[in-house]
Formats: sequence, structure tokens, C-alpha cells
Amino acid sequence: MGIYPPPLENLIRHLSKLPGIGQKSATRVALHILKKPKGLAEDLSRSLLEVKEKITFCSVCFNFTDQDPCPICRDDTRGNGVICIVEGPGDQLAIEESGFFKGRYHVLHGVLSPLDGIGPDDLKIAELLMRLDREKISEVIMAMNPTTEGEATASFLGKLLSNKQIALSRIALGIPMGGDLKYMDAMTLLHALKSRTPLRP
Amino acid sequence: MNAYMSPAIIMRVKEVGESDLLVTFFTAQKGRLSGVAKGARKSRKRFVNALDLFSLVSLEYAPRRQGNLLLLESGKLLNAYPGLRADFSAFSKASYMIELTEILFPPGVSEPDMFDLLNLSLDALSRGEKTHLVPLVFEFRALSMGGFRIDTGRCARCARPYQGEGTAVFLPETGGMACLKCGRPSALSPPLKPSVVKAIETLQHRPFREAMKEDLPEDTMKTLRVVLKLHREYRLERKLRTSKYVE
Ligand SMILES: [Zn+2]
Ligand SMILES: [Zn+2]
Repeated sequence: MGIYPPPLENLIRHLSKLPGIGQKSATRVALHILKKPKGLAEDLSRSLLEVKEKITFCSVCFNFTDQDPCPICRDDTRGNGVICIVEGPGDQLAIEESGFFKGRYHVLHGVLSPLDGIGPDDLKIAELLMRLDREKISEVIMAMNPTTEGEATASFLGKLLSNKQIALSRIALGIPMGGDLKYMDAMTLLHALKSRTPLRP
Repeated sequence: MNAYMSPAIIMRVKEVGESDLLVTFFTAQKGRLSGVAKGARKSRKRFVNALDLFSLVSLEYAPRRQGNLLLLESGKLLNAYPGLRADFSAFSKASYMIELTEILFPPGVSEPDMFDLLNLSLDALSRGEKTHLVPLVFEFRALSMGGFRIDTGRCARCARPYQGEGTAVFLPETGGMACLKCGRPSALSPPLKPSVVKAIETLQHRPFREAMKEDLPEDTMKTLRVVLKLHREYRLERKLRTSKYVE
């Protein structure tokens, strides 16, 4: 058994199971909750239950939402024929926060990963295909992460959509902002050169 | 603490803790190993693109004071096998080869030739070279190195030496084959023509590059796939998770 009383140990154990939270952070969060007034714990437990009860997936784009379809799918001004495909809700949020993209999204809920038993049928791919005709999509942007699985998923979708009259693109991969060429590996440089953009004076 | 530096093939990558990666990799000298790359998700400096699934990297690692997990110090990309990312079929075949390697070579079992086989097979798949033959060459040789070689020398029942003539019958339960006097062809015991027996020998014994020179007719490949499936499922007593993406 640990050094803390069992209820506190319990909380730390549960918190440390959350993604991105290690033993140290879990302990810090648990001690913080313990120190603060009871109201914090009550609010926290209430909102934990609330997200489980009220948040569902949008039946069109499969992003998290508390109203179906989600606000983006209902917004007519965003029905411009462009869809951005992302791996998960977190990726959608990151792109949305940048404020640049004005079309709609499609959340795949994962990437192809045969080692983990995840194939095309386990992602929201069939649902994507149905949207293409229904929403008169003219352009698809693949915004999967540049991991092996993300790339393989983008290639798979690219082939799947290649016979349709749809413009396909992949978000640019390569040198990050503030990066240094000297420290880049061959793969990154290859991507950077391949996805170079014309310079217009 | 002694640090090691060796070529490694990244088999699995998992996010752990706040910014760490748990990486399983295959090396020539020490077989399958696992280690933690501290902070690899926040700062990619020490591991620029070196911890991506199915890449060949030069990895620096050291034992930790406690536990079996190693500490990964740095990595440099040697071959990203880029073709695997550009084609789901190649990616699936690679996944299958990795899963088979995991089953045949648990941690602590090393086999330098297996490392070479995996590297050459992934590279051939990536370059799109005879991609229908690669999985066959890989699996016959891997099973052979893992201790599951098919005995083509004699009849498993009467021990009569096989002279390279006449049809034999594959007997999964013996890990070998029988003469027509001792065995009866069936769906579970496919008949093997002399050319098929010869192909099995070649794929089991010859180094990868030589085996890849084989130009096997489609019906031979078909029989070899059936034999492999029966043999694998009998010996390994399981179905591979990745098999449904390659069959
Ligand atoms: Zn939506
Ligand atoms: Zn016999």
C-alpha cells in the first residue's frame, strides 16, 4: 500500500490512469482537490457525470456535441463543399481554434492499425463516403498526423476517393515553425521538399 | 551504466505518462526489447522521427536501475520504409510480419538472422518489390528460424526418404509430410507436387535475397499459402490478429 490514506491513494490511482497524467501529476491534482473547499469536488464530480450523460457524437461528422447535428454541421455558411478529415476530436478542436478553416469536418475516430486490430471497418469511413454525395463535397483535406499509421490512413483514403471528382489534399508536412534545418532528419526534409509551395513576390 | 547503440526496428509505440513513449523494438544481438523514451512527445530533439512505427533506427539505450524497461537515450532514423505508409496493403503485410516476429521471438530470444530477415522484408515491401512473394519468403524463413521448420526430408510416418519425385501429402500434426502410401490428400492435408516441396525447401533455407529470386507460378504460391496457414495455426495454436488484413 502507498504512503497516503486509502481514499487518497484511490483518487491518485484513478487520476493517473488518465492520458497524459503520470503518478506525480496525479498526486499533485489529488492533493489540490483535497486542500480546496468541498464545492470544487462537488462541481467536478457533477460535470464528470454531465459530460457522460449529455455529450454524444454528432451523427454527421462524429465530433463530440451536446446537440445533434453539431453547430458546425448545422451552420449553412460552412457547407461550402470542403471537408477536413481528422483522427480525433482533439485534432478537430486544434484546427478549429486556428480559425482559418471554414468548411466542415469528419472525425474518423482513430487510424488504421492492423497490429491493434483496427481496420477500415472500425473507422468512420463508410459514413464519410455517404457524406460525399449527400453534401456535394468537392474538396477533401486529409489532416491525419504524420505518424506511420496516420500516413497509411491518408494513403488508404486517397486511393478510395481517387475515382471521384473530388480535389484531394494532405496538410503539409515538414519543417516546423522555429525549426532548424541542421537538425531535421531525411524523412522530414523529403516531406518538406515534396510539399514546397511556390513563392510569389 | 553502460549505454548500447544498435540498429533497431520499431515494432510498437505507445504513449505513456505525460510526455513519454513506451517503445518495443527488435535488435540483432538482443532480440526484442522495450524501453521508455522520456519526454519524447514534448521534445523531439533526441529522437527526430526515429520512434515511428516500422522504422529502422540507430538507437541508443541503457539499462535502468530497476525494472526490465530500458531507458532510450537517443535515436537516428536509418530507413523509414516510406512505401509502407503509402499503401495499406504493404502496411498490413508489414504489421503481419511484426506480429509473427513478436510471437516467434519473445523477449530474451535473440536471432541475428531474424533481424536481417525482418529488415530486408520490410525494405522490399516498401520498395514494392515482388510484394506477393515477400510475405511467403518471410514467413517460411521466420517459422524455420523460430523452430517450426517443415520437414521435407522424409515421410513423417514410414520415414522413407523423399527423393524429390512424386506427390507427397502435408500433415500439419507432424510438422512434415507423408508419402501417398501413408497419407491421403484432403482439405486439411493438401497434396504437394515435387515443385512445391522444392519451393518449401528453398524458402526455408535460402537467404532472403536468394529466395526472392524465385519465380513461382501462381498455383504453387496458392498451395504454399494453404500449407503456411495450416502449419502456422497448428504450431502456434492461434490466429494472428493482423491476418484478416492480409488474407
Ligand atoms: Zn457535426
Ligand atoms: Zn510413408
